[in-house]
Amino acid sequence: MNPSDENAMNDPRTFDRRRLLGGVLGGLLGGSLVAAAPRAFAQTAPLLERGRLVVVFLRGAYDGLSALVPWSDPEYAKLRPSIAIAAPDGTPSTAIELDRSFALHPALAPLLPMWRDGLLAVIPAAGSPNRTRSHFEAQHHWETGMPGQSSGAPGWLNRLAAIDPAKSGAPRLVGVGEANPHILSGPMRARLIPRGQAAARAGVIGNEVARDALLDLYSGNDRLSRAFREGVESRLMTSKELATEMVAADNGAGNPAGLVRDAQQLATLMRADPALRIGFLSAGGWDTHVNQGAATGLLANRFAALAAALAQLRTDFDRPGDLVLVFSEFGRTSAENGSRGTDHGRGNALWLIGNEVAGGRVHGRWEGLAPGNLNEGRDLPVLHDFRAVIAQPLARIFRLPERTLADLFPGAPWDAALDGLVRHG
Amino acid sequence: MPVTSPARPARPASTPATAGRSCAARSRLSLLSRLSLLSLLLLLGPSPSGTLTGETRAATLPGATLTEPQAVWRAASRLGYWPSEQQVAAIRAHRGGPRGWALDEVDRAFEASRQPARVPEQLAQVNTPLPEVFAEARREREARQRVVQAAPSGAAADSSAAGAPAARMPPLPAAIAQAPAAQPASFIRASAQQAAAWRMLSCSDPSVENPLLSRMTEFWFNHLNVFVGRATVRPFTGHYAVHAIRPNVLGRFEDLLLASARHPAMLFYLDQNQNVADGTPGLQGRVRGINENYARELMELHTLGVDGGYTQQDVRELARVLTGWTVDPDAASGFRFAPRLHDGGEKTVLGRRFGGPGAAQGEREGVEAIGLLASRPATARRIALRLSRFFVADEPPRALVDRLAAEYLASNGDLRRVMRQLVASPEFWDPAHELFKTPYDFACSALGASAGNAAAGAPVAARPPAIGLALGFLAAAGQPVNGWQTPDGYGTDAATWLSPESLTRRADLAAALARGMGEPEQLLGFYDERTRERLQKVPSASRAALTLAAPDFMRK
Repeated sequence: MNPSDENAMNDPRTFDRRRLLGGVLGGLLGGSLVAAAPRAFAQTAPLLERGRLVVVFLRGAYDGLSALVPWSDPEYAKLRPSIAIAAPDGTPSTAIELDRSFALHPALAPLLPMWRDGLLAVIPAAGSPNRTRSHFEAQHHWETGMPGQSSGAPGWLNRLAAIDPAKSGAPRLVGVGEANPHILSGPMRARLIPRGQAAARAGVIGNEVARDALLDLYSGNDRLSRAFREGVESRLMTSKELATEMVAADNGAGNPAGLVRDAQQLATLMRADPALRIGFLSAGGWDTHVNQGAATGLLANRFAALAAALAQLRTDFDRPGDLVLVFSEFGRTSAENGSRGTDHGRGNALWLIGNEVAGGRVHGRWEGLAPGNLNEGRDLPVLHDFRAVIAQPLARIFRLPERTLADLFPGAPWDAALDGLVRHG
Repeated sequence: MPVTSPARPARPASTPATAGRSCAARSRLSLLSRLSLLSLLLLLGPSPSGTLTGETRAATLPGATLTEPQAVWRAASRLGYWPSEQQVAAIRAHRGGPRGWALDEVDRAFEASRQPARVPEQLAQVNTPLPEVFAEARREREARQRVVQAAPSGAAADSSAAGAPAARMPPLPAAIAQAPAAQPASFIRASAQQAAAWRMLSCSDPSVENPLLSRMTEFWFNHLNVFVGRATVRPFTGHYAVHAIRPNVLGRFEDLLLASARHPAMLFYLDQNQNVADGTPGLQGRVRGINENYARELMELHTLGVDGGYTQQDVRELARVLTGWTVDPDAASGFRFAPRLHDGGEKTVLGRRFGGPGAAQGEREGVEAIGLLASRPATARRIALRLSRFFVADEPPRALVDRLAAEYLASNGDLRRVMRQLVASPEFWDPAHELFKTPYDFACSALGASAGNAAAGAPVAARPPAIGLALGFLAAAGQPVNGWQTPDGYGTDAATWLSPESLTRRADLAAALARGMGEPEQLLGFYDERTRERLQKVPSASRAALTLAAPDFMRK
């Protein structure tokens, strides 16, 4: 609608679009983005050797005000007469106190140990500078890292992978669940694995005679044939790597923990193939316009599944530089709507998990829910550009040079208010 | 009926109509197409370079045309799903060539859309009258509720829980393999299964459904998507496809929108049944109010598009206009307008006033607002663009989109006229405009082709296992039938669906469906010479499977 960026252009490090496009073209023509940012070569240790990155995208805009409850704000209960999470009193049906301002939804209790160990941090009012309330447009912005642009630019995880390709040429990127998420798409190869048991089966490809016949049919140098041959290689690996794990994971089949299984598969694949450094998971069903519930109900069920998946991810991604990011395309209205749900909003809580994250505390600004502090009188404002949040660990854990960051998130500001987000920056 | 004549003949007069010989000529597909697609890909970024199939094609001159077999393949695979024997014969027999046939096919599909669907008895639940659907679903939920309450731990299943919407479709419609059950174990589950099975059957059996009508139903269902995983929507998806979408796919767009707007599947899916005037008293002393979900998607996805020139204020006002549009469990239509829930105040949507003095009142407000949205140029452009992407090219030429949008506006949104314009366009027949099959395309075409020559009058009872395989394949491929959770519908382009591992999974379905299938001579006639040579080398027992798994079968 009105893609007017509020603050992106104030930063001196503005985006040189030609440079980025040059990098993209370079990637397609056989080189990579590195060619456009030669300084990346100057790094002594390869960037992605420092840690692994997992992004969990909650599509549909989860209600952050139910996850990270501003319990001591008197407006909170007023805005949400039937869906507010009750202020912490130590009982299981109330929020779990984190500090004097914020508390966790009771269904997110599995995150509490990470918070106490200082591994989990949150920015309560992050988001995109673009004002759209369309899920699909906003998701596109988050996936390209280019708010306000509807271009078909590669996903930012794909561009990140291009900065430090594996020497073997093996894929850096892996996604579980979605057919071809935009955030992973682009010139760098990604392994894309379906949900559930199907992923572990080699199928016809497992039969040598059939495989050879198919490889013969797809022996050309065209795009389709090349993709097919890559697929054969990748699928044999996937089925081999997952075959042993599936038995155990299937015990939970049928419960709402589909995301837990996705997380397990992702971890298995990334452990088996050290070239894989960037993982992507997503979960839908967050667009709670109606009867979202409070301490129990629709949203609480989803939080329980999410918390279990994040706890699983923490178990599997516990090396020094590992990082998990959790976010949605925007937040939801501060007030409940006429059908005990919430509508599309703006700012939202963004979560980070990792050993080098300065966890156990809330980072960034928070202005409360008083009417004068709300965006258009109805939503949390965006107080921190999501790209500025993500840039912190990318710069300080993965040591991405400034210029590379500027290519990755063109026009994004460096946000000094978040300088404490990473422990050993 | 104004039809733009193509700049060049779609069917080169010099090309012999015998499939075998003209396959060699297909290698003329073309440096030109390769270059233009390559440059497109370069501009767009995300895809690796190269055309889908441009391996070692010889160069051709600018202005290349499809060979005759290519044109037949394209007509049959895009305006249907695959070249069945009867269809190929009909196209070749047409005096006007593939283009002439295509124009007639639009009219045939329109005529077919005016007739009731030929739904076999095993899938008859898609025709269950709506009051019965409401009653059965309510009975079943109440029964389940009693069981849940009796059980020690009340773990009520939420069918659209977080995580894997796709994986939640029942894997195989085992129920339909059996004789029509008088008392299905679960009415709701059977409804969902039969709805999905009907989609597969109608896209793969021309004796059941006109192939273009099946295509159009696929397109418009996806444009006006609903999600079978949402508990309230679940029993209604089949009825929605067959009775709201199908009859209107080649009529006026406004009528299609209205049919969708009033159907319980859509009313539930986008919470329109919850959209009531602010301050309406609810249960237990609660106060109800506006829910803007449907109003937003109606503008953003169904009509104007996200850049279509509306504001958040317009969303809010349109939601107010539509207050009171809700489900009626007792009405044959499933719909009622409830004046008590309607916001009678004055509103302004896109500059037009509703509800005030001298303006439309009550239900009329919503009807007129939908008419207003359908008539906007932004809507015309969006419809034209989406149709062009679906039928012509992932990145269709602007000129085509402009012409289709103009036709839409000139004809008051007559979708048949827009489609006639589309199939008559030179762009539709341009060799450079390749399309890669989506998983749905692949499943339908493999199902149909593997039924062999038996398509005419093939007994439905013999097909459920194959339909089950196809549905399972689609769920794993990320395109479960009726199973896309969000209202934007599935993408249809190669950027979405052409990914390495998923490509290899198509071979599994091909192998499973090809069991017991004869040698598909008829398909081979359309294949590249190189592919045919390679297929000659394989044992004849696996030739059918490999024919369906070959690169040539991945294009439409």
